[in-house]
Amino acid sequence: MARILLADDSETILLLLRTRLEMEGHEVETAVDGQEVVDAVAGTPTPHDIYLLDAMMPRKSGIDALRELRAAGVDTPVLIVSAHTDGGNGDDHEGLGIAAYITKPIDFDQLFAKIVELTERHV
Amino acid sequence: MAGHRHSRRRFRLSPSLANRLTIGFAIAFAVLTGLAVIGVARFLQQRQDFEDATARSYQTEIEARTDLFQSRDAAAARATIVAQKRQRQVLRDEISSETRDTALLVGAGLIAGLTGAALLFTGLIASMRRPLEDLVDASGRLAGGDLDARVQIGGLAETATLGGAFNEMAEELQRRAGERDQLDRMKDEFVLTASHELRSPLTSVQGFAELLLLEREKLDPKQAETVEVILDNTRHLVRLLNDLLDLARSDAGRLTIKPVPTDAASLIEDAVRTMRGQFDSRRQRLALGFEPGLPQIEADRDRIRQVMVNLLTNANEYCPEGAGIEVKVRRAGADVEIDVIDDGPGIPAEQLEHIFERFSRGDAGETQRVGGTGLGLAISRSLIELHGGTIEAESTLGGGSAFRFRLPAAPSPVSAEAERSPSEAS
Repeated sequence: MARILLADDSETILLLLRTRLEMEGHEVETAVDGQEVVDAVAGTPTPHDIYLLDAMMPRKSGIDALRELRAAGVDTPVLIVSAHTDGGNGDDHEGLGIAAYITKPIDFDQLFAKIVELTERHV
Repeated sequence: MAGHRHSRRRFRLSPSLANRLTIGFAIAFAVLTGLAVIGVARFLQQRQDFEDATARSYQTEIEARTDLFQSRDAAAARATIVAQKRQRQVLRDEISSETRDTALLVGAGLIAGLTGAALLFTGLIASMRRPLEDLVDASGRLAGGDLDARVQIGGLAETATLGGAFNEMAEELQRRAGERDQLDRMKDEFVLTASHELRSPLTSVQGFAELLLLEREKLDPKQAETVEVILDNTRHLVRLLNDLLDLARSDAGRLTIKPVPTDAASLIEDAVRTMRGQFDSRRQRLALGFEPGLPQIEADRDRIRQVMVNLLTNANEYCPEGAGIEVKVRRAGADVEIDVIDDGPGIPAEQLEHIFERFSRGDAGETQRVGGTGLGLAISRSLIELHGGTIEAESTLGGGSAFRFRLPAAPSPVSAEAERSPSEAS
């Protein structure tokens, strides 16, 4: 089971994702914007296995937070949740080490499979 | 715009050459006609004088002959007769010379007039020809979609007016085309934004409905059914959103694919597998046939799966329970050909004609629930064409339908080598 840092600016999405992930047995910590993500990473006693970040959030987006974390040498696997069906198409996400894009509405079976794949690879 | 005003000014200052020529021609014609009338009148008067003089001459001669007959002064009478004969000869010479002069004058006038008229019309035609040829050329280019087509304004006032009007029309067309393009872009932008914005609430609706169904044992059957209806409709909304998004992208030229060499068999099998449940639930038979040794294809897996799912969903929804659907994959020259054939009710010819157009939907039978958006085949065609392939449909009413698409085979390293060596040798 993975320790997941989950970020989304929508409380309902946060509740939904947290509930489903916890039902799968994962441990979930939440953030509502990119700054909280950066703060949570800095302040955590045990490192997270996976970051699950919404691409677009006010103040600091998931992408900006990730850019900051990567610059600080954090290499935790990342899944980006996006409303865009074409993933990072056209955006400059090169070198951010994004493991996969999860498109809204979320296909949970696909998401859980991805998490399992990433944690197994990382162990 | 400065050039436009300039051309208008020129056209206002340009004198009406045609009008001037017409007036000039009318004056010349009047003068010539007047001269001819005077000439003819003078000629008639001379003719009258000639006849009078001749008559008088005969009268004098007759009198002289009477004198001679009566033997009065015979010598004088003979002299008079000779004189009168000579006199009439002179008169005849005079009148024939007058006639010749008049004929020459009128003939010369006529020739001058005709030459003048010919020169005038040649000039008129020459000065109209160039601007008209320009206009014909520019109209052709404008009709062909070149909205920059303009004519040089000049020549006669009439052709200048025509040229000015043409340029104004072209200007207006260009302005409207620009407005329409802008509206199109706004529409595409709107659809893209709207479909993104709708995704988050839809994620919640679908997600929480799924959550409820995960605890189905806590729901009574009616509640479970209600949640399933919510889920069904949410999925339909998502499909509609995805289709609208693809269409807007396609319109904006932003529908892109990432083709990679792909194993056709596994890709098609994959799509068929995701649809298997739907076919089973309607007790439809789904057969899959692969030709052995298929080459790889250049394909964006997700997009080709989308096309296959679309074709299979159509077969599933439009065919009655118990129908048979067959998927065949084979090599066809440099392409791989994929057929989705059903033994369903078929498509009427008038619908078949428009089947790849947007919002074209088949008539489902009374008992069938068809959940499509009417966009699937339009998008499928765009996607197949982006792959450099083709898609077509065949159907007879009562005789089933066949959808066939072709995708170019990926150049295998071996065959690429084989193709290269002869060209290097030559």
